[in-house]
Amino acid sequence: MDLFLQQLANGVALGAVYAMFAIGFGLVFATMGILNVSHGTYATWGAIAALALLERDVPFVGALVGGVLAAGAIGVVVDRLAFEPLRRRGVGMLGSIITSIGAWIILGDLAQEATDAQARSFPSGSFPSGFVEVGGVRLGYPQLLNILVAAALVVGMHLVLTRTRLGGAIRAVGYDAAAASLSGVNPRLIIALTALLAGGVAGLAGVLSALSTNNVSFTMGEGLLLKGFAAVVVGGFGDVRGAALGGLIIGVSEVLGAQYISNDFRDAITFGLLVLFLVAMPRGIIGEREVRRA
Amino acid sequence: MPAFLSSSYETTLEFAIVSALFALAVYVAVWAGLLSLTPIALGAVGGFTYAAVQTDHGIGLPAALALGAALGALVSLLLSTFLLRLATHYVAMATIAVVLIGRVVVLNLDVTGGAAGTGLVRRSTTGSLLLVLALVCWVLARLRRARLGLAVETVREDPVVAAALGIDVRRVQRAMFCLSGAIGGIAGVLEADLLQYIGPNTYYVDLGFVTLAAVVLGGAYHWLGPVVGALVFAFLPELLGEVMDSGENIANGVLLILIMIYLPRGLVDPARVLAWRSRLATWLPRRAAGERAITEAVVER
Repeated sequence: MDLFLQQLANGVALGAVYAMFAIGFGLVFATMGILNVSHGTYATWGAIAALALLERDVPFVGALVGGVLAAGAIGVVVDRLAFEPLRRRGVGMLGSIITSIGAWIILGDLAQEATDAQARSFPSGSFPSGFVEVGGVRLGYPQLLNILVAAALVVGMHLVLTRTRLGGAIRAVGYDAAAASLSGVNPRLIIALTALLAGGVAGLAGVLSALSTNNVSFTMGEGLLLKGFAAVVVGGFGDVRGAALGGLIIGVSEVLGAQYISNDFRDAITFGLLVLFLVAMPRGIIGEREVRRA
Repeated sequence: MPAFLSSSYETTLEFAIVSALFALAVYVAVWAGLLSLTPIALGAVGGFTYAAVQTDHGIGLPAALALGAALGALVSLLLSTFLLRLATHYVAMATIAVVLIGRVVVLNLDVTGGAAGTGLVRRSTTGSLLLVLALVCWVLARLRRARLGLAVETVREDPVVAAALGIDVRRVQRAMFCLSGAIGGIAGVLEADLLQYIGPNTYYVDLGFVTLAAVVLGGAYHWLGPVVGALVFAFLPELLGEVMDSGENIANGVLLILIMIYLPRGLVDPARVLAWRSRLATWLPRRAAGERAITEAVVER
C-alpha cells in the first residue's frame, strides 16, 4: 500500500509536468488551430536558458523566470515569422503544421549546437534539494514544486480564460477573429499574447522537467511534445482542465504501469491511451463542445 | 555511376531516393485527402521483416521488396478499418500515434533486437534504388491518368461531390491508404538495406515530420513533387555544408517556412504549369482558343 501511494505521488508529480506542457500546447491548438510541432523545442529552450542563468550564479527563481520569458519570446517570434503570414493567406491547418516543422528543425538544430549535443544538468546546489514526508510518502522538492506550480497554473489559467476580459478576447479570437475585431478586440495583439502565454508555459514545463529529471538535452522537448499531445487528446482540446486532467492521467498511468505491469511498456500505455481516445472519444474527457450553427 | 557524382554525393543521392519513396508513400495518402504518417510505421514493418528474413533465410532484395510491399498493404488494410472512420484531422493524429506505438513494439519484440536494434547486409546499388523509384513513379503516373486517379482527385477536392458522382469515397481512400502502405513498406526495406543497421529510432516521428515536410515542399499535387522535395531536402544541407561549418539543416527549416508562405502549393504545381501554358497561348495565336478557355477555367478553380 505504501508503495502504491508513493508511486501514485510520483505519477502525479510527473503528470504535473505533462499537464503544464499540455495546457500551452492545447491553448494554441484550440484558439489558433495550430498543431504546433515546434512547441516541444520551446520547453527545451526554456531549460537551456535556465541552465545558462544558473551557471552564471543567478538564483533559481530568477533562472526559472528567465527560462519562462525566453520560451515565451521564442513563442512570439515563431508565431510572427511562421504562422502570421499563413493566417493572412488562409492556408489552413496543413500549412501551419508544415511551418511548425520548419521551426522545429531550426530550433532543434540550434539547441543541438547550444548544448554541443551533450546531456547536461542544472549545477548541484543551484536549486533547493531535499524532500518532505507525508504519511510514508516521500516527495522531493522538485516533485513538490511541479505539483504546486501545476495546480496554481491550472487554476490561474482557467480563471483567466473564463473570468477575465483577456480570456474572453482569447476565446473570441479563437472562435472567429473577424467577428472578435468587430467587437473591439485587437486580434493581432491577442494572438501575440496567446503565443507568449503558451510559449512561457512550455518554458516553465521545460525548466521543471529538467529539474526533476536532472537532464537538459536538445531532445528533451520531444518527449514532452509527445506526452503533451497525448495528454491533450485524452483530456480534451480547448479546456485547461481537460489538458491538466489528461496530463495527470498519462503521468499516473505511466508510473503505475511501469511499477505493476512492465517498465518496457511505459510508452505503450501512454500511446495506447492516445489511440483509444482518438477512436472511442475523439473530443477527450472534457471536450470542446461545438455549438457552431450553419 | 555517372562520373560527375563524387562518392559523397552518391551516398546523398541514395538516401534522397529512399526519402523520395517515403515521400511518395505519404503523397499517395494525401492525394486521397488523408494526412497520414503510417507509411513510416509500415516502413518499420518492411525494414525489420527484411532484417529478420535476411539473417535467417538469406532472402534477396527483389523478394524482400515484394514482401515489404505486401506486408505494408496488408497492415494498412487492417489499420484502415479503424483509422478511416475518424474525422479528417483526427486521422492525422491517430497516424502519429501509430508511429509512436510502432517504436514501442520494436523495442519490445525479440526479432527486432529491442533497444539494440539489428544489422543486415547491403544488397542494393544506386542503380537498383533508381530503378525502384522509377517503377513507383511509373505506377503513379499511370494511375494519375486512370479512372481511379480521377476518382482520387475528385475525393480530395470535394468528398461530398465525389459521393454524389457515385464514387465510393471510403473504398477509394482505403485503396490509396493500402497503396501508400505498400510504398512505405518498400521504402522501409530500402532504408534498412542502405543503413545496414536499424533500431527503434530509425522509423520514428522525426522521419515522419521530415517526410511530410518534403512532400509539401515539393508539392502534393503531382507525383513529381515529393521526389523533388526529397531531393532538395537531402542535397540542400549537403551543398551548404561545403560553405558552412554548422547549422546546415537550418536552411531546410527556413526554406520550408518560405515555401509555405510564398508557394503554398509547393515547388511542383500542375496548376501553375497550366497557368503558364495559357499565358503562352495568348502569345501564340495559333494555339486553339478552346484549349485556352479550358485551362483558364481549371486554373481559376
